[in-house]
Amino acid sequence: MKTLDTKQNILDDAGFAYSIDRMAYFNRKSKKIFSVEYVEDHDEDDLERAIREDTGGEEWKFYFNSGEPPESVRREIEASLGRG
Amino acid sequence: MAEVERTVEDRLREEYFTLRPEIRRVADRLEAEIRYHLLPISGGLQGHERLAVKCRVKSCESALEKLRRHQEERAFQRNRPEIYTLTSLNDLAGVRVLAFPQSRLAEIDQLLREELRGWTADPVEDDGELQALKYYGYCQASDKIRGEYQVVSMLIGLFWEVEHSAIYKPDARLSGIAGHRGMRERTRDVVKALRAFEEQFEALARQD
Repeated sequence: MKTLDTKQNILDDAGFAYSIDRMAYFNRKSKKIFSVEYVEDHDEDDLERAIREDTGGEEWKFYFNSGEPPESVRREIEASLGRG
Repeated sequence: MAEVERTVEDRLREEYFTLRPEIRRVADRLEAEIRYHLLPISGGLQGHERLAVKCRVKSCESALEKLRRHQEERAFQRNRPEIYTLTSLNDLAGVRVLAFPQSRLAEIDQLLREELRGWTADPVEDDGELQALKYYGYCQASDKIRGEYQVVSMLIGLFWEVEHSAIYKPDARLSGIAGHRGMRERTRDVVKALRAFEEQFEALARQD
């Protein structure tokens, strides 16, 4: 229970929104996206480290357990997250 | 005239309707087998005890959505449609065994595990807490379509049904809400309350 609250709080505090369609937490400002699987399988320290990580903010950074998605999928996700 | 390119979803819809009769056969067979195997228990229930066996065939759009959600990216690779098949899903045909009170669950589970040997256990857990016993495997109706059965407390199973039909069924894409950590916590609160209700009921029924 505590872990669940803490991770959600970390993501909320860092300005991450939840995408129902992608089942992922994303932040358009820092251009980072965390899958629910990634959030589930990494502890709070890892999550905070990833949120703080300097990625340049030019391109979307995907934090997925399965690694970077294939290019075509990446483009589709970026296009859907770029909206709004 | 150039042929219109078929999407991954188009191909999967075609596959679904080709498989549909076989999925139905698996569901019917699995339901009949489970009802038969459970006769020793269902025939000896006390007045307040309940046992229900429910069977369903996954709808086409739910199956597509499940397959899409199966990928961590929640997206199909458009240039590789051949890598996707609905036969990779375990629950195209599903049976749910609901029991009340929950003290009957272990007995039901043991009986079905003895009868359906070789089926793979895939328990439903949330944050390490067991919510339902789940298994998948092949029955005699098909060597292509796997079936799935769950053994779950009646109140929790009925809550899932209501939650599914009221919230997620109208739009399969809304099922992604269930992945939100805050939503999961609220769901866990409900499950905990239902479990406590059953335990209290059971304790009082035993005293009677």
